[in-house]
Amino acid sequence: MTVRIRFFARFRELLGTDIIVDAPKGKVLSDLVKDVASKNKEGYDAIFDEKGTFREFVILMQNGKRVETTAAAMTRVADGDEIAVFPPVAGG
Amino acid sequence: MMLFGDVGQERLKKANIFIAGAGGLGSPVSIYLAVAGVGTLTVVDKDIVELTNLNRQILHYDRDIGRKKTASAEEKLRAINPDVIVKVIDTTIEESNGSQLVGRADGIVDAMDNYPTRYLLNDIALEKKIPLFHGAIRGFYGQATTIIPGKTACLRCIFPSAPPKEVFPVVGVTPGFIGMIQVNEVLKYLLGTGDLLANRLLIWDGMTAHAEEIAVVKNPACISCGAGHTSKNAPAVKAKNVPERKKK
Repeated sequence: MTVRIRFFARFRELLGTDIIVDAPKGKVLSDLVKDVASKNKEGYDAIFDEKGTFREFVILMQNGKRVETTAAAMTRVADGDEIAVFPPVAGG
Repeated sequence: MMLFGDVGQERLKKANIFIAGAGGLGSPVSIYLAVAGVGTLTVVDKDIVELTNLNRQILHYDRDIGRKKTASAEEKLRAINPDVIVKVIDTTIEESNGSQLVGRADGIVDAMDNYPTRYLLNDIALEKKIPLFHGAIRGFYGQATTIIPGKTACLRCIFPSAPPKEVFPVVGVTPGFIGMIQVNEVLKYLLGTGDLLANRLLIWDGMTAHAEEIAVVKNPACISCGAGHTSKNAPAVKAKNVPERKKK
């Protein structure tokens, strides 16, 4: 199945955006983001801590609905899903 | 103004808006609030104008380099609209002075560049029951939402943890874009019209010219507005002059 991942702000600079992933059925959201982020260590480290847990400030969305990062390991993705991963921006 | 009518314009004239910051967001926000005729603008900033500010901080000119941002802002805003009362305060917004600085403002515009002060403004808005018009930018990216105490998710519900501090470039149009959204929200709120960005986080990606919004909800355990709230910032002071929103 095909899932689209969009990164924003700093995550986008490190990992790109609009990444189409061919994911196996039953894939959970956290693993999907990890797989894609693993392609760039700096990008991975920006999103995950040393234990592989989402950093506290990371915001995840599945098809426009927020998914708490703590629930991402239990959230399955489906064909055609659009996943957004972004940090809050801070400047003013 | 035909769009608001005399009654609307009078509402704007009676309003007092607190603008936290006279930088990238604070510049377009204060200029457009001034030309809209919002009667009292209080602008707080502690910084001095630097050359690197000038690509986006359109309140300040080349000749202002080395000058206090508050002095520069006061001069420009008074020249733009002499009928507006402009109060500038050259200080850092801190826990010890924040509530007093905001005073009896009808709303707070978040034009800050850091989350600790944003969380403080969020707490003050909750305490005084006045809206917080949030905006933040980075490079070509921006975000905005409107927080109405008691009705919407607060800033901490949406962002429980601050992102790490970083130094990043900003293209001037990004704060212009996000600042306009904030001003648009302030005007709708004061006029009691339209639909606010309430419980909606707008995300702007200037690189793709793509805006999207995320529905956000109150966090029942929020440490600022939910069950995790401590007595430290408990007193709920009802601000005066808060216009009632029109019922639909």
